[in-house]
Amino acid sequence: MSETESSGDECVLKCKKPAFVLYRNREEWKDVVPIPQADVHNAVVAINYSEKFKDVYDYLRAVLAKQEKSERVLKLTEDALNLNPANYSVWQYRREILRCLKIDLRRELVFSAKMIHQHPKNYQVWYHRKAIVEMLGDPSAELELTKNDLEYDSKNYHAWQHRQWVVQTFGMFDGEMVLCDTMIEADIRNNSAWNHRFFVMSNTTGFTPQVVAAQVDYTLQQISKAIHNESAWNFLRGILCQTKDGISGNIKVNTFCENLIASNNISPQLLAFLVDINMALAKEDQQAREKVKELCMQLATDVDTIRHNYWNYLAQTV
Amino acid sequence: MEEVKFIPGTHSKYFKRFLQMMPPQTQKGDTQRLMFAFFAISGLDILNALESCNAQHRQDMIEWIYSLQIQPDDDEESWSRCGFMGSCTFKLQSKESREYQHSHIAMTYTALSSLIILGDDLSRVNRPAVIRGVRALQQPDGSFCAHLGGSENDMRFIFCAAVICYTLKDWSGMDMPLVEDFIKSSLSYEGAIAQGPGLEAHGGSTYCAIAALVLMGRLSIFSDEQLDRLRNWLLMRQVAGFQGRPNKPDDTCYSFWVGATLKLLDRYQFIDKKKNREFILSTQQNLTGGFSKWPDNTSDPLHTYFGLCGLSLMSEPGLKEIDCALNMSVDAAKRLEQIQTWNS
Repeated sequence: MSETESSGDECVLKCKKPAFVLYRNREEWKDVVPIPQADVHNAVVAINYSEKFKDVYDYLRAVLAKQEKSERVLKLTEDALNLNPANYSVWQYRREILRCLKIDLRRELVFSAKMIHQHPKNYQVWYHRKAIVEMLGDPSAELELTKNDLEYDSKNYHAWQHRQWVVQTFGMFDGEMVLCDTMIEADIRNNSAWNHRFFVMSNTTGFTPQVVAAQVDYTLQQISKAIHNESAWNFLRGILCQTKDGISGNIKVNTFCENLIASNNISPQLLAFLVDINMALAKEDQQAREKVKELCMQLATDVDTIRHNYWNYLAQTV
Repeated sequence: MEEVKFIPGTHSKYFKRFLQMMPPQTQKGDTQRLMFAFFAISGLDILNALESCNAQHRQDMIEWIYSLQIQPDDDEESWSRCGFMGSCTFKLQSKESREYQHSHIAMTYTALSSLIILGDDLSRVNRPAVIRGVRALQQPDGSFCAHLGGSENDMRFIFCAAVICYTLKDWSGMDMPLVEDFIKSSLSYEGAIAQGPGLEAHGGSTYCAIAALVLMGRLSIFSDEQLDRLRNWLLMRQVAGFQGRPNKPDDTCYSFWVGATLKLLDRYQFIDKKKNREFILSTQQNLTGGFSKWPDNTSDPLHTYFGLCGLSLMSEPGLKEIDCALNMSVDAAKRLEQIQTWNS
């Protein structure tokens, strides 16, 4: 837990910062008349705000009402955002102040990185980051920032989303496949990393026969290590569906699946994939239809019983 | 394993406490109080406990919601800012701070839904202003931002826009073909729907997209093949409860996001109800009431609301049936139909 997330008023014992002084007790703020929140009588879902929260936001309302843009208000917004990083109006106000005072945005990147580290699943901190990077026109810190965040939470949707935006906007695809390799190596079940792989391919090489062949090899290798890994199987299905032969037309893949069956390496994902292959052929091929029924029975009764209703339904309707 | 008993009375008390006063840790939800109110109001409705809130209390709630409506002024430009705010934190009178007096699309959505559930007839809603405010948030790619002060844009706000347009029976709040384009381009290689193009398929964004399309009457943008692939992906999300993405842990709220989508796509009958119910109840907090995302976590209003919805989808005794696209009880949805007497 970070310094600023400890209950602010007892901060002095836990961190090196001085104790927080309420704004109403600060000499340099004597010129400002705080504005209390004007909720209606019998308001609903009232929040039991801390004294610090009320103090900070009473002063923020006062300066916001007059649109004061100064270094002291910039600091006040920092206090307000530490208390509630989801207050998008405070972020809006902060950006206005940065523009107005022509503050060095690299300084803001440092603040932004700190907020992202403390609140990695908050939408507003990531939007603010994007806004600052756009204003600066400089994405040079972003790959490292997102990589660091992914080290804490390798599936953080916000981090992946920001990275995709950076890479696409600034044409920075160069190291991305290597990143995917590394992340999949670290956690073969990281669905976000597999998705990023597909994203990178879509935006760079495309799905030429050579590229697909190489990626099929890679994916089959990963499946061999973890035959229950849905992420790899979904990726395999995804890339095959980009080819003209579709899911059922790849000999290597078909052979691979047959070998797994023959060596009794059965998983729900393998059988489900075979169902998909055979469903693709089932319209014209009676044998394929029978195969679907057989696979569905196996899934329903033995391999994937949680979904037995679904597999039985598929068997009946093929 | 001893079977966990469902304790609806405790959950009612949980929501009633939240309606009165929320604990200090909810300070971080200060701009979203309307959304918390919606979880409690709709939650109590689904629990058949809203009637036990006295009429004055319900009227107070209605007044509070209306106090958050932003009305236009003489300036034509002000119409873009209309709708509802989430709280009165920055509801200021000063002209200089006008730019900060703007609606938030999720708060407009939860305001309208809460009003209907509370029995209000929406007669004090400035319909044309709300619709103009929604339209002002649509982006060139078809998606919606949440508000005018600088916001991310994704599938969540498309759902909000769709519910608002449906509720007020006015689809000029969105360019529909653009929305359809955005949803289509957010279909990932997995066969399910992400928050935006290129991003990872996700149970939450999939619900938002499908529910929006159902409300728009435009589910037909997807072929039968695409819908079957999606149905398959959704059914694969069941671990015991449901997960939001492959290889993630199950989490109570996905019993609704994924479950409701399956209902809308007519495949809910294929889930394992026993395992789903066991998982949801394993996240029930017996002392405080409410549900949490995982067992042995603190409960919160969102997971409590969607945990209850998840149980309702399985016709849990004592809970009202839900309208899966509108995300409110069928009772409330019927009441909406009755009050929609205005001409479009």
